[in-house]
Amino acid sequence: MKGDRLRLALRDLAAAAAFAAMAISGQVPPWAVGLFLVALAVALVPRRPLADGRLSALALLLAVVVLYAAVVLDQLDLVVAACITAALLTAQRMLSRPSPRTTDQVHLASLLMIAGGAVLSADLLFAFCLLLYATLAVLSQGLGVVAETGGGVLPPVRRVLRPLLLGLVLAVAGALVFFVVFPRLSWNVAARRGGASLGPATVGFADGLRLGGAGLIKSNPRVVLRARLDPDPGTELLDVYWVGRRFDSFDGIQWSASDRPGRATHQVLLAPPEPGLVRQEIELLPAYGSRTLVALDTPVVFGDAQTHQTTFTVRADLLPVGGEVRLVGSSDRVTYRAFSAVEHGPALAPAGPERERSLRLPARLDPRIPALARTLSQGALNDRAVARQLERALQTDYAYTLELPGRVKDPLADFLFSRRAGHCEDFATALAVLLRARGIPARVVVGFHGGERAAGEYLVRAGDAHAWVEAEVEGHVLRLDATPPQHRSGEGTGALGWLLARWEALQIRWLDRVVDYSLADQARLAERVRWAPGQESRAGARRASADRSVLFALCGLVGALLLAALLGRAASSGDAEQLGRSLHRLLARRGRLGPAGWLDDARVEGRELAPLRASIARYREARFGRRPLAPGEGRQLLQQARRALGTLGPASASPRRHPPSGA
Amino acid sequence: MSRRERLSRAWRRLWIPPRRLRTTAAGRTYLVLTFGVGLGALNTGNNLLYLVLGLQLSIIIVSGILSERCVRRIQVRRLLPASPRARAPFHLGWGLRLRRGQAFALTVSEVHPTLGSSVARLAWLPAGEEVTVRAVAVAPRRGPVRLRWVRLSTTFPFGLFVKIRDVELDGEILVLPARVPPPPEPPGPSSGLGLEQRSLRGPDGGGDLAQLRELREGEDARRIHWRKSAQLGTLLRVERDAQPQPRIVLQLDEGGPAERLDLACEQLAARAEVLLSRGAEVGLESSGGLSVKPSAGPSQSRIILRALARAGHERPPA
Repeated sequence: MKGDRLRLALRDLAAAAAFAAMAISGQVPPWAVGLFLVALAVALVPRRPLADGRLSALALLLAVVVLYAAVVLDQLDLVVAACITAALLTAQRMLSRPSPRTTDQVHLASLLMIAGGAVLSADLLFAFCLLLYATLAVLSQGLGVVAETGGGVLPPVRRVLRPLLLGLVLAVAGALVFFVVFPRLSWNVAARRGGASLGPATVGFADGLRLGGAGLIKSNPRVVLRARLDPDPGTELLDVYWVGRRFDSFDGIQWSASDRPGRATHQVLLAPPEPGLVRQEIELLPAYGSRTLVALDTPVVFGDAQTHQTTFTVRADLLPVGGEVRLVGSSDRVTYRAFSAVEHGPALAPAGPERERSLRLPARLDPRIPALARTLSQGALNDRAVARQLERALQTDYAYTLELPGRVKDPLADFLFSRRAGHCEDFATALAVLLRARGIPARVVVGFHGGERAAGEYLVRAGDAHAWVEAEVEGHVLRLDATPPQHRSGEGTGALGWLLARWEALQIRWLDRVVDYSLADQARLAERVRWAPGQESRAGARRASADRSVLFALCGLVGALLLAALLGRAASSGDAEQLGRSLHRLLARRGRLGPAGWLDDARVEGRELAPLRASIARYREARFGRRPLAPGEGRQLLQQARRALGTLGPASASPRRHPPSGA
Repeated sequence: MSRRERLSRAWRRLWIPPRRLRTTAAGRTYLVLTFGVGLGALNTGNNLLYLVLGLQLSIIIVSGILSERCVRRIQVRRLLPASPRARAPFHLGWGLRLRRGQAFALTVSEVHPTLGSSVARLAWLPAGEEVTVRAVAVAPRRGPVRLRWVRLSTTFPFGLFVKIRDVELDGEILVLPARVPPPPEPPGPSSGLGLEQRSLRGPDGGGDLAQLRELREGEDARRIHWRKSAQLGTLLRVERDAQPQPRIVLQLDEGGPAERLDLACEQLAARAEVLLSRGAEVGLESSGGLSVKPSAGPSQSRIILRALARAGHERPPA
């Protein structure tokens, strides 16, 4: 086996995977990352400059002392310090002279790093790092054990890889089974939720909405929130509006809100509750990046908000700012409940100064805009008709595009009269201004449109960010959306977008089914697996059926393994030693063993016992003559011996029992 | 085998598990780490620690399965040395064969207090052919060494545990007395060694020239006297008187402590080898009833050495 270099490379790469499991948390300091990467590169060259490990061990000890001094001085987290210690130890061992002992130490220190990664990070990438580490470590260790044994001919690497890969598959399957069935006897309080694994947050509701920017966000597939709705619509795609923030002041280029913040509280009531509200359990994910809470249009109540920090969860206060609700404090991950009046539509229109602000036009408004408003709404009999006519006109006469030329002096006039194409912000601004030009109070709302189903929940992506208009018509608020319907939700960006979308969906499943797996989930799983003839819903029946299928597949797998073991045992009964033992037992029962108790001096004379003698001869040949028995031959020989003995009685001499020797 | 011995063997088989497991140093550390991760998982409820713990436990189980696949179907044949001497290294061999599958990282040894430390290693045992492995062993004392179990073990796949399978395989090595320098003085009557000489006359002895005669067909050409044959023009062969050969019967006292008996056996063995190499007929008698008739030649040396090896242990087989 020409495997020494390969084995060491596998070992070092396994250590790298273990280190990556920690590093993805973003909590390992950059200097530690750099140090480890340098050590890895040197080890892979391969160079082992720390052949005499005494000095480096001393340096390592010093580094550990410094690290823990930093912990005592509250400059470093204890877990992070432990992880860095494991990384430094691994690096030092990787660069030492290779030996079975150092290899074992590298693997064990890597295992420590994996455990550290499990504590520091909850990202899906951890699963990949764990799998990669397990694969590389198993292969490296297996090849190492064979090579270090020495003696005889070393096998080709591929001959060793086969059982090792089989072992790896069994180990991963066993780990999953253990994970699912091992009772969770404690609360899941120490899992550290991962940060935004694919870069910084994307949405970030700003204090204002400025026209003229490119609509890149529409092609961003990152999931920003997940919501569980009750009652569950059950559809794959939602056609709903998620309200975030309302803007009522427009200066010709930028929209802003002039509401003052209210008092922070645990629960915010935006309108009187009424029956038939849709309950939403919403989780804002790290990609969201804003403190503004969103809910289905029209939100009525916000409450029960919790921020999930690295190691703990706390209840959070909410701050009402006009129709908007903000979180007090900040966190990568926020969960809360909201209730919305989806069926009844928006509540009563605001009055007083708010209404006045919703009618104000920009000071330097292009004079063509009021004329356009009149032209487009010609023939409409009332405000509602005017609003609908303007909405329809913009939807049909203007094109949707994300490719904008950049900042212009009057973006609204540019959209309405020059380019005649824009994105949702342009459409919403144009409609609001046209409505105001016709004396109808209007404001721009930003939030999201749509949502796709995944694992019983709805996911909203950054690309679903949207802007629309609320107009006051006949004392009520009317939602108007001038953006062409096919462009309201996010748009894909080819293969990369598809991949990112899949990754986010996978990440959510990972968080939901692995990181947050609990005793309650185990109970639910047990309940689902239980045989229940009448399922309440088709989806439930499908899910239960899938769970049962998985259980049956697992049982089938275990059964197949047991059967294989039994068949293997049955097949091994054809071995010479087994045949020898069976013949010995047979002859002992019939009192035909010789005085020494060996098959060699068995009393098997006579013509009628010739087949028995042949069986014994064949046994000797198979056992000592290098002519192994064919599959099933042992059984035939034994039957042949039994038939030959038939009804013959015991021989005259007394039998003695000695089992045949050997394997 | 006595009834008691059979019962003892059955009892032992009942209580000794078919496989034994021993942890290596790395395995012990691994177990401590597994315990630590388990404790951490239970204490914190961190699901990822549960996942790591599951993987670690699975690795332990998989290690057991793969190592069992390695040692399970191996057939062993013992290759005993022909004439090992006490306190001298000799090769102990085993023939290993696997009908199907393959085995890795094997070590083979005897389950024996003194020979058990001699270990043979084999990195790979493919299916089909028999592979012979050897270990160098040293037996401290002469005598029969009874071997009952061959120990197969493997650290495959991860080097965390040693899976041990003891294969029952009866065998015996007869360790001959150690090689020592022969006693400096020839044996006298006081030492208990008897010596008897007799002169024999024979046609092909090694003594003085008796006569020359014509070579007959089929006779050994090495006996031709070439000078006389050349003078007379015909092939003549030499006939000599038989050389007188001493007949010596060595006497062994089997009484006394084992160390003294071992020393006596070693000295007698050395003496017998010297005498036999000189062409003497050597026999052996002991106070314990051991008796080897005097004879000459290398086979006699083997017989005497084997008899001396068994002296004090048991009677030689009839």
